Amino acid sequence: MFYISIFFQYMSQYLKTKLQYRADLLVEFLSDLMFQAVNLIFILVVFGHTQMLHGWTRDEIIFIYGFFLVPFSVFASFFNIWDFNERYIVRGEMDRVLTRPVHSLFQIILERMELESLLGGVTGLIIMAYAGSRLHLAFHWYDVFIFILFVLGGTLVYAGIFISLATISFWSDARSSIMPMMYNIGNYGRYPVDIYNRVIRYILTWVLPFAFVGVYPSAYFLGKKEWYVYSFLTPVMGIVFFMIAIFLWNAGVKRYRGAGN
Amino acid sequence: MAKYIEMIRIRFLMMLAYRTNYYSGILIYSINIGAYYFLWSAIYGGQSSIQGMSATQMTTYVAVAWMARAFYFNNIDREIAMEIKEGKVAIELIRPYSYLGMKMMQGLGEGIFRLFFFSVPGMVIVGLIFPLQLTTNLHTWGYFAISTLLSFMINSQLNLLAGVLTFFTLNGEGLLRAKRFVIDLLSGLILPISFYPEWAQQLMKYLPFQGISYIPSMIFTESFTNDEILQGLLFQAVWVIILVIPIQFLWRIAKRKLVIQGG
Amino acid sequence: MTYAIEVEKLRKEFKSYSSRSGLIGAFRDLFTRNYKIIRAVDDISFKVKQGEMVGYIGENGAGKSTTIKMLTGILTPTSGKVIVNGMNPHKEREKFVQTIGVVFGQRSQLWWDIAVQESFRLLKKVYRVSDRDYKEHMEHVIETLDIGPLLDKPVRKLSLGQRMRCELAAALIHNPPLLFLDEPTIGLDVLVKLKIRQFLKEINEKYNTTILLTTHDMSDIEALCERVIMLDEGKIIYDGSLQKLKQNWGEGKQIQFQFRHEVTKEQLISLTNDLNVKWEAGEQSHSWIAHVRAQDMAEVIGKVVAAYEIKDINIRETSTEEIIRNIYEEGIVHG
Repeated sequence: MFYISIFFQYMSQYLKTKLQYRADLLVEFLSDLMFQAVNLIFILVVFGHTQMLHGWTRDEIIFIYGFFLVPFSVFASFFNIWDFNERYIVRGEMDRVLTRPVHSLFQIILERMELESLLGGVTGLIIMAYAGSRLHLAFHWYDVFIFILFVLGGTLVYAGIFISLATISFWSDARSSIMPMMYNIGNYGRYPVDIYNRVIRYILTWVLPFAFVGVYPSAYFLGKKEWYVYSFLTPVMGIVFFMIAIFLWNAGVKRYRGAGN
Repeated sequence: MAKYIEMIRIRFLMMLAYRTNYYSGILIYSINIGAYYFLWSAIYGGQSSIQGMSATQMTTYVAVAWMARAFYFNNIDREIAMEIKEGKVAIELIRPYSYLGMKMMQGLGEGIFRLFFFSVPGMVIVGLIFPLQLTTNLHTWGYFAISTLLSFMINSQLNLLAGVLTFFTLNGEGLLRAKRFVIDLLSGLILPISFYPEWAQQLMKYLPFQGISYIPSMIFTESFTNDEILQGLLFQAVWVIILVIPIQFLWRIAKRKLVIQGG
Repeated sequence: MTYAIEVEKLRKEFKSYSSRSGLIGAFRDLFTRNYKIIRAVDDISFKVKQGEMVGYIGENGAGKSTTIKMLTGILTPTSGKVIVNGMNPHKEREKFVQTIGVVFGQRSQLWWDIAVQESFRLLKKVYRVSDRDYKEHMEHVIETLDIGPLLDKPVRKLSLGQRMRCELAAALIHNPPLLFLDEPTIGLDVLVKLKIRQFLKEINEKYNTTILLTTHDMSDIEALCERVIMLDEGKIIYDGSLQKLKQNWGEGKQIQFQFRHEVTKEQLISLTNDLNVKWEAGEQSHSWIAHVRAQDMAEVIGKVVAAYEIKDINIRETSTEEIIRNIYEEGIVHG
């Protein structure tokens, strides 16, 4: 209860700050849109030269991409702490966070939230609707709930991976430049995993399980029955990876060395 | 000149100091190239060639594009934006060197580091796992080296340009992010330019981006004829010269503004 | 008697990596690295009673900040016992920090982009302060620190002095019984310093708030603290009243003689060789400073005045600043 009220308190502060810099908001929307467009263009160009990708059609791939954008946008709005190392460890902001009576990760997530990224989710829904209508997909009333469940699962997978990566800063003096590269790897979860060889499929499923933010949950909506098991594993993987992240975080905070002086 | 070389050396040492970065970087690059390899294999499916490139050429293209990226890629745009935001640029200006020149050299130091400790071992590993087509033609290697150097220049100049631009905008972060997406798409890193529809290819002839990744990678995979190679190198060189103009122009205005506002 | 702070054999060690020199060295660092263990805080023990104001002093790198960070639950100790407000700071962090206030002079606790009062409102929620308590307590704080007119300004627009007063108010929103101040007056002008000291005294009297203060400004300590704990290379070298420190170390006086003609050090030494005097050249020409014990003062002056022609005489007490400097230079501990 307390955490929910804190959440709304931060949210209202956030909105006040954002409304002060309206021009920024526009730039951010545009750069988000650009990011979404780049990936869509890739798919469109590629399918200008081929009809099928390992038995998956263009519209199916586009549908997966649309689905991916939804959990990704929720992740980007709340858990996107790629600059954790620079902002909190190097500059010592972590000191301040640790002197407040709220869980440190929760505080940082609230301080770094970027609600404008949620717009990407809307783009995702539009893309899904477009691809879905071309594929004549059948929807049931309960699919809405399954969709929400999968989106949450996917979000937690993403959040778990990136929080775990952020905790490396507690152990090592690494700069955070691996984070941007990680976004690239995230992209590969959007293609049918059976195109990859065993090693990469294994990595995308169990190590950096980005496939659970793209192809696996989408397979359910696309009616690919052979992948259903993986589809329904999505929320489980989300919870497991998020728990691992929190565990690593708590262990990391104990190792925190403080900044400079 | 000695001070610029010293700057390259310092950067080199700095890069070596972050070893977690180094290890994870190699791993992540390998996964990236691996995933791309399979993605392209799937795209080729049964087809033996698309747009005049065989599947092996395509794989080589992807691998070399990523490895070359390790050389030309740098974060000097972010660094400039950060230093502008924190008012450190004013201090840099009183030092006895050209600020932008120094940033270029830092980028080169990083690039050389990655080239030797990253791209070369990485290329060996990737070459062992995937069927690459490494040419034995020394001319090709020579052209490729020149082309990669020019691509470093173009990319760094664009970074300088974007970094200086943040001086005039409120949200530098968004701008730099958008720039990265544009470069990924239009440089030929994720897709060879020849795959795009004809009208888009025509349009991109008037933009500098394909000089970053497309031209060196096409040279390396020997997908270019001799004429095309020379045209490509000329294209890159011309852009290196053209880009000096907006950079100097904006930098001059920025400096004047900096002096008046005091950062 | 319950103590606000109880520290026993507290120790904190850091691993410090050293890089090999040169390119080849850096390359070797990729695979194995040299490191040594540095003991930033070395088995210190002390206790602080509720309501005490304690000055925690030491040179840069003596371990002050590290201690404070362990006491506030930011760092985990390597070994030893810390009990603050009856809790183990690191174990029960979220519950514990509810009972302390922290001000880092060099780091802002407030949100940069939003108005001060918005930060306050957020902190009020974070610390679960009721409207009634907030009103009753903070109105007084805001008035005493004179920050009412600043509340609707964003933090980035405030001057350092204004910001510091707001930081202090922010640390007190939940009216904590224990306050940690890490260099709260760094870089501030005299007027703001006075205001802050005045305020801290008042808080201490009104709520019996315990205050632990680190600073480089000895006048802060003199104005506020009866007790000082002095740290050197991670060890406590003095823990006791400021009064006693002054008595033991600062009982001497300094007499500055301005002579009319040139006088050599040897002449002065031979003149006063039966007394315990340390001569030191003054800043102007023909000026010498005698460090003497208080009881020898009259005799020294008598002898010098009788022997040489004097333009001016100046008598000063040794300042706390100098006492501390002397202690560090000589590195001796006197209880």
